[in-house]
Formats: sequence, structure tokens, C-alpha cells
Amino acid sequence: MFTSALLEEALKRKRLVKQMREQLIHNLRVTYARLWVRIKGSNREPEWIAAELVIPILTLSAYVYLYKMLNAPSEYAGFVIIGGTMIAFWVNVLWNMSAQFYWEKETGTLEAYLVAPISRMAILLGMALGGIVNTTLRAIVILVAGTIIFQAPLIVNEPFTALLLFFLTIIALYALGMLFASLFMLYGREAWHTASLLQEPVYFLSGSYFPVKMLPFFVQLVASLIPLTFGLDGIRRVVILGAGIADIWLDIIALVIFIAVLLPLAKFALNYMENLGKKEGRLTLRWQ
Amino acid sequence: MAVNAILRTIKQAIWVGWKVETNWADPLIFAIYYLIRPLAGLLIVGFIFIIGSAAGGAFSPEYFAFMFIGNSFFIYVVQIMITMSMLIHDDRAHYEVLKHIYLAPNSWSWYIIGRALNGVLNASISLILTLGFGVLIFQGLLGVSIQINWLAIDYSLLALSLILGIVCFIAMGFVLCGINIMTSKVQFMLTDYVSGILYLFGGVVFMPEILPNWGQAISNALPITYFLKTIRFSILHQTATASQMDLLYLVLTMIATIIVGALVFRIAEYKARKNGLIDKKEEY
Repeated sequence: MFTSALLEEALKRKRLVKQMREQLIHNLRVTYARLWVRIKGSNREPEWIAAELVIPILTLSAYVYLYKMLNAPSEYAGFVIIGGTMIAFWVNVLWNMSAQFYWEKETGTLEAYLVAPISRMAILLGMALGGIVNTTLRAIVILVAGTIIFQAPLIVNEPFTALLLFFLTIIALYALGMLFASLFMLYGREAWHTASLLQEPVYFLSGSYFPVKMLPFFVQLVASLIPLTFGLDGIRRVVILGAGIADIWLDIIALVIFIAVLLPLAKFALNYMENLGKKEGRLTLRWQ
Repeated sequence: MAVNAILRTIKQAIWVGWKVETNWADPLIFAIYYLIRPLAGLLIVGFIFIIGSAAGGAFSPEYFAFMFIGNSFFIYVVQIMITMSMLIHDDRAHYEVLKHIYLAPNSWSWYIIGRALNGVLNASISLILTLGFGVLIFQGLLGVSIQINWLAIDYSLLALSLILGIVCFIAMGFVLCGINIMTSKVQFMLTDYVSGILYLFGGVVFMPEILPNWGQAISNALPITYFLKTIRFSILHQTATASQMDLLYLVLTMIATIIVGALVFRIAEYKARKNGLIDKKEEY
């Protein structure tokens, strides 16, 4: 009697593990499918690739020339180039991650996602990974081109620290994008303005084109709510000033905290917004 | 009668544009939207200026005013380009009304001009708010001296420069509309391309003389360069060259832009009609 109960329990556990494994594989396939669409879609049109490479260089060139005009030291060109490179990720997070569910709603594919037996987080993860792959390739080109054109001096003593900071920044940024995605999904039409609203102010607050420590204290306080601020500060110190992990450990801790908070918050927000959207009948509402 | 019909079309287009672009939002929220973005742009350049000057060892108030005015009035370029670049795509693919506008008795060019004028209206709101808050932040909070004598502005020259510049930017917008009639792939990037090129070569935040020779040649061919020179002359009275010459160049480049804009738009319209692109629905 006791043995059969144990056997049944073991069988139940085995079934549960099998079920979880199947679910994991299923959702990994979802992630891969969304990643594939993102990579294929973003690289389908040569005009889009050219625009993503040329436009950031135009803007950062203007700021480099402004620093030159003011006789600032050549490291400032490096500041602008690193900032311009990382901004590519912020733009991607805003328009291709945060606003994505809004686009999906407009094109009618959001309904398909919602009725499919899949995790919404798996879709968001696929979008994020696809965005990271695409934007990293473009960011490398912007970085190399900017450095060559303006001969910005880079001193990298600890390349692995720079890579660690880079990946932590990217994960934190895309976690923020996942959180925004659910908000954008529900507030529809306002998404466009909201994305516009968040673009330039974040360039300013995160110190994309100048060291953030030069901003007034209360502005720095607001800036510390943005993961990009810490990422940019750390990466610049490692890549331009030759700093090591001992100098930027605070940036690393801040980014880890961002990730630990933003990822669960994104999952919670997604469930909450989906339920609210269902209740109010706004999930499939176009031209909202 | 015909003039009345044209004016009515323009008025309705401005109204539609206002409704679409304000997203039926509360006027206060809309004003915040239209303030934050340009103000953030101005703050970026302003702080680059302050930090760069500190690192370079000299701060020039005259040059700060030069940058302040250039960056503020650049709003017209950005706003008109955003409006006109997205117009065809939105009306054709998103709201699906372009075919009806095309079929209406009046030329759709007047409708497009009306929508562009709505962009001008939005840009003017942004400009006033940005100038006000810019002065408040830089001069009031940060103690940066902005050497502008608001009572000594040559308002007639300012108004004339604004009108000529706006006509010029609307003509550029017609080129964007023409391109967007032919393709649905580039509407999102055209604004950034045009704004980026004009920002870099137009002498917006730095003097074009610092650019390499080929860059200066591009700068000399762009109407924005003369637009900003005449605007600055009317406000700051500090440009090296005579304003009459800049005004003349502005008129000449404006005429050239109008010719190019009209040509591109007419060719695009002809081809779109021939290839059935007026109501071609993509994406949505």
C-alpha cells in the first residue's frame, strides 16, 4: 500500500517534470521563432540597414564637431562615439521592443499571440534577443566607423570588464523594454508620443554625449533611474579612461539590481495589462 | 470661388492634422509632448557646450547664443519633415483615406500643404515653449548668459526669413511625399536622414567653417544654412556676412527647392497613378 503510494507520487513527479520540460522546449521554440522573424525582418531591406548605420553617425558627427569647435580634448569625441553607439540600443528598445505589441495590435498579429498556447514572455524574449543581435552588429559598425573617422583614442585595459558591462547594460535595457511593451500594448495610440517622449530626454539624462557627473545633482538623481546611465558611465570609464573592474563595481551592482527588479516586474505588468485589456476589450482595438 | 475652395481645403487639412497629431489628447499633455523633446535636444547641446567650453578653457556667450538660436529654430525642419514624411504612409496604409483625398475635386497638393502648415503650427508652439524654458533653465537656473536683446530683434526680417524658410522646408517635404508615394519602406527613416544631414551641414550648432572642404560645399548649397544665418542676423545681429546676401541666397535656394519638390512630386504622382499605387495597402 505504502509502496504503491510512493510509486504513484514518483510517477506524478516524473509526469510533471516531463510536462515542464516539454513546456520549456515549446517556449524556447517560440523564442527562436520570434528571434528568427526579428532578425530576418530587420535585415530584409538594405535601406533599413543603411539608415540604422548612417543616421547615428550623422548625429554624433555634429556633436563631435561641436566639441572640436570648443577645443575640448580628443577624449570627448570618444565620449560621443560610445554614447552614439549605445543609443542605437535605446532606440531599438523603444521602437522595436516597447512599441512592438502596439504594432502587432495594429497589424492584427497580437490576437494570434494571445490565443496561442504560449508564454508571452517567450515572445518578448525572442524579440529582445533578435533586437540585441541586430543592434549589436550595427553598433559595432557605428563604433568602428566613428573611431576611425574622428580618430578617437580608446584605452581598453580590461576588455572582459567592458564586455561584462556591455551585456549587463543590454539585459537591463531590454528588461525595461519588456516592461514598457505591456504598457504600450494597452495605451495604444499614445505609444507613438510616449516613445518620442522617452527618446531625447533619455539621451540627455543618461549623459549619452557628455559625462553625467557634470549634470546638477537632482538631475543625476533622476538619471540614476535609467540603466543606460550606469552602463554608459562604466563602459566609458573602461574603454576611454582605461579603468578596471575595481573602479566600476558600483555600476555593475546597479545594473544587476536593475535586472533583478525589471524582469519580474515585466512579467507582472504583462499579466496585469493582458487581464485589464481583456476586461476592457482593448486588446484587439485598432486605431486606438 | 476657386481660392475659397483652396482655403477651405487647407483649413480642413490643418484641422485634421491637428486632430491626428495631437492624438485627440488633452491640450496640456500635448503641450508637454511638444516641449519635452525639443527642450531635451536643446539641453543636450547646451550641456555639451558648457562642458566642452570648460574642457577647452573658454566660454563664449556670443557663441552660446548662436547655438541656442540655431538649435531652437531647427524645430521647424524636424516638425515639417516628420509631418510630411509620415503623411502619405498614414493616410494610405493606416487610415486608408488617401484615395478619397485624391478623388476629391481639389488638388491633393493643397491638402498636403494644409497638413504641412499644421506641422508649422506645432513647431511654432514648440519653438516658443523651448525658447522660454531654455532661457529659464540656462539663464535663470544655471546662470549662463544668453546675449539676446529681445527688444532689439528685427521682427520684419525674422518674419520674412521664417516665411521663406518654411516655404523651403515644405518644398523639401514634397520630395519626401513623392518618395513615399512610390515606396512604403522608407517613411520612418526619411525624416531622420533629412534632419541628420541638415543638422550636420546646416550650421545649426557649430559654424560650417569647421567642416572639411567638401562639407562646406554641401553647407553652401543648403537653404537651411542661409535660413539660420538670416534668423540669427535678425535676432543677434552677429553674423559676419551681410544679411542681404544671405537673404538672396535663401530666396535662390528656396526657388531651386520648390522646382525640385514640384518635379519629384509630379513625377511620383504620375507613376503612382500609372502603377496603381495611390491606394496600395501595405503593412496594416
